[in-house]
Amino acid sequence: MAAPVRATLLGVRAGGWRRCDRLWGGGLGSRCLALQAAPSGSRSPWRLLGALCLQRPPLISKPLTPLQEEMATLLQQIETEKSLYSDHELRALDEAQRLAKKKTDLFDDEQDEKDIMHVQDLEDMWEQTFQQFKLGARVTEADEKNDQTSLHRKLDTNLVLLVREKLGDHDVWLLPQVEWQPGETLRGTAERTLATLSENNMKAKFLGNAPCGYYKFKFPQAMRTESNLGAKVFFFKALLLTGDFSQAGKKSQHVWVSKEELGDYLQPRYLAQVRKFLLDSNGLSCLW
Amino acid sequence: MSDLEQVLGLQDSAISKHAFSLLRFRNLGENPIYSPGGVLLTTNRCYKTKPTHGIGKYKHLIQVQEAKKKKVKVEVRPINMGTDYEYGVLNIHLTAYDMTLAESYAQYVHKLCNSLSIKVEESFAMPTKTMEVMRLQDQGRKMAVDSVLTTHERVVQISGLSATFAEIFLEILQSNLPEGVSLSVREHSEEDFKGRFKARPELEELLAKLN
Repeated sequence: MAAPVRATLLGVRAGGWRRCDRLWGGGLGSRCLALQAAPSGSRSPWRLLGALCLQRPPLISKPLTPLQEEMATLLQQIETEKSLYSDHELRALDEAQRLAKKKTDLFDDEQDEKDIMHVQDLEDMWEQTFQQFKLGARVTEADEKNDQTSLHRKLDTNLVLLVREKLGDHDVWLLPQVEWQPGETLRGTAERTLATLSENNMKAKFLGNAPCGYYKFKFPQAMRTESNLGAKVFFFKALLLTGDFSQAGKKSQHVWVSKEELGDYLQPRYLAQVRKFLLDSNGLSCLW
Repeated sequence: MSDLEQVLGLQDSAISKHAFSLLRFRNLGENPIYSPGGVLLTTNRCYKTKPTHGIGKYKHLIQVQEAKKKKVKVEVRPINMGTDYEYGVLNIHLTAYDMTLAESYAQYVHKLCNSLSIKVEESFAMPTKTMEVMRLQDQGRKMAVDSVLTTHERVVQISGLSATFAEIFLEILQSNLPEGVSLSVREHSEEDFKGRFKARPELEELLAKLN
């Protein structure tokens, strides 16, 4: 797909973001892959981080609500009552008629015994093959153990990856992030995050070049300096295609978590921003 | 009466039928021009001055429709408008074995685009492909027809999707996809357009003969 070239930034503060002003003023039609390096004099006091919201899309669909079940059975009933006979059913009716005629007639000379499969035999065969087929389990063992590091949990919801990192003194759970380096797009930063995390094991699909959310925070008083007020984190969404963390790695450092369980791990302000861009599977049905 | 007789050259007692009818009309006080069975063909249309002039005309009220162009131009390059980068024409292909599923999901996508004010250029179906599944019969060497599978494809063509929104839109499409339907979003191309037409064997034969 023809991808847009310039990363669009949401929620940009006009004050400290002079680089962008220069860019937009410069050339609207120019295709430049890298943000122009700002003169070293005017550096904004905010550090930039690109974060990755890696989602595992649901593998099976959600179970139907009672209302949906009732509606489905009703519609199915209406359809069967309105429908016409299929080829198989016509054949069954024909054979039933023929059998009835045979019983009443004493002569069988009109129709010699053909070596055809009777409808009953066909149905028995199909019934057998159906019995042999086994459906996959909806509730996997990871669900029962509540093993949050495994990818096979909760097959009908989106799972988001969270990583534990050290910020300052304490450990904090957050979406994997990496600092932005001048000369690359923010989406490139997110891709670099993915590569460093998984050591090139995981393959993800980025749907667009625009970030889906941002989070801004100021460093605690002790850490603040002239040029380091705080940091801004831009989140990028990606869908996991294949791959997982290699097992020989740090344990209890990463977790695959659904939207409801996010509250257990993330800080409240961070959580509020993250919640804004995570699509809820129940809320989508209202878009009609 | 006398001048008419003079004009018509009547001196005889044998009055012609022609003159007699004229006279009769004149005596009755009617105008020979208007009355039914009037003999003379009229040349003056006096009712052009009346308000009912042109009462039956309607061609000037119909909007002139241009002849439909057979080939619709394909917009290949996306429009670049600063930070808002728009995609050109995109084709959303929905394929499924179950026709009702494919159609109802295509309906959903169409309605979604309408409510999100994304312009839907066209919504059409590609021809159905039929596949016969042959199974090797047990105790036999022959292959017998086991089942017939039909693949249905519905296409929704949209234009004017902005890049910032495309991400969200695609995620909505993917998460709402029903089981058994596969989604494919591609940019519209000449081959896609030409693929909808039927092959013309005579034309191809003639072209082959020319070359």
